Amino acid sequence: MTINGRTLIKVENLYKTYDDFHALAGISEEICEGEVVVVVGPSGSGKSTFLRSLNLLEVPTEGKIYFDGTDITDQRVDINKHRQKMGMVFQHFNLFPHKTIMQNITLAPIKLLKKGKAEAEEEAMRLLRQVGLEAKADAYPSQLSGGQKQRIAIVRSLAMQPEVMLFDEPTSALDPEMVGEVLELMKRLAHDGMTMVVVTHEMGFAKEVATRVMFMDAGRIKEQGIPEEFFNNPKDERLREFLSKIL
Amino acid sequence: MEAFQNRFYLNFIKDDRWQYIWDGLGVTLKVTFFAVLLGILLGFLVAVVRSTNEKTGKLKFLNFLAKVYLTVIRGTPVVVQLLIIYFVIFGSVKIDKVFVAVLAFGLNSGAYVAEIFRSGIMSIDNGQFEAGRSLGFNYVQTMYHIIMPQAFKNVLPALGNEFIVLLKETSVSGYIAMQDLTKGGDIIRSQTYDAFMPLLAVAAIYLVMVMIFTKLVGILERRLRSSDH
Repeated sequence: MTINGRTLIKVENLYKTYDDFHALAGISEEICEGEVVVVVGPSGSGKSTFLRSLNLLEVPTEGKIYFDGTDITDQRVDINKHRQKMGMVFQHFNLFPHKTIMQNITLAPIKLLKKGKAEAEEEAMRLLRQVGLEAKADAYPSQLSGGQKQRIAIVRSLAMQPEVMLFDEPTSALDPEMVGEVLELMKRLAHDGMTMVVVTHEMGFAKEVATRVMFMDAGRIKEQGIPEEFFNNPKDERLREFLSKIL
Repeated sequence: MEAFQNRFYLNFIKDDRWQYIWDGLGVTLKVTFFAVLLGILLGFLVAVVRSTNEKTGKLKFLNFLAKVYLTVIRGTPVVVQLLIIYFVIFGSVKIDKVFVAVLAFGLNSGAYVAEIFRSGIMSIDNGQFEAGRSLGFNYVQTMYHIIMPQAFKNVLPALGNEFIVLLKETSVSGYIAMQDLTKGGDIIRSQTYDAFMPLLAVAAIYLVMVMIFTKLVGILERRLRSSDH
């Protein structure tokens, strides 16, 4: 996979501090269009905080985040406009339980992109067909399996035609036999050229799909590289220990 | 049996005494209806202020006012509030008693409704809020489209209960000599010196109203639960 170079997200000197605990201790990083960046690390290493600060669900204590060249940490910037272009998928799906699958997918396009209902539903059906869940359009989230819920959550984000997709441990809350279907969909997205930042414990996915793997520990990025380098020739002591425990 | 008929005649038929009950019922329903509306409006606003403050730390001054309101209203008896509004606040002006009762019971109910709504809002998982915001909805849109509909469904039983309490609480309106249902029955008692019949009739009417209302809330709950399978 080739990276075409245009910087989509640029992070400068990011800190997130709770009292005297540094969840993020100075991160500077760039993510380019078309990249699939997988972030791994022990729990409490700050990887979720890092991901969630990219769309300001977590407001950093210090530092700047540029999305498409705009400093979104600037108070005068309308963050809601930028969030529309940054899809996010959560560990616990967070589908809207009071709305049908179709309504879950079309709510934001209709209200925020001002699409007509018919147009939004047509687009939703197209996406649902791609994930093989068109029969569930009128079902409610509680009628779906975990894997189906997460695929719908991904579709809901895609319906906003985002420029980047952020995944926060998307398979961690799933039964083992449902992990595959979600990873499969994520692989397809990556293959179609979607820019992705993925926090996960799925090392297989990282090896196979990532263009770059990052290792975080104690609020810092300790090491990163292409998967072969990263997994076969880790340099950081802490990363070696981490990999030896999980592989 | 004949004694019963005579008492019935004396209490309800003679001199058209049933009209005290009928007119009183109308006043009770009118006061309850408008007090419920006022209570929902006030309670909703206060709950939004309180939960917004809890979630974002904004609206500090409004939150302070809301807390004062809740403390005062929930800390004093509704009868005392009714008397103060009638004899102190509107003491020097001629004013419609129904209006005073609506104001007093609406203000009172608003405090309880506010806490019910707030508990409903806070009961919704924060992930719902984050999902809405991550799609690009602003705070108000997220509240309106995602949080409130779920919160409302969760608090409906508590809300129904609050309105049942309110309906019965209006029976203290006699303190400002407003002729509601209870006062109507009591006037008959004072004329016929028979306590049993008019008061039991009044109690039965309250009971039937509460039963009908409970039924209506139940139907609404079932309809809103259509998404839980």
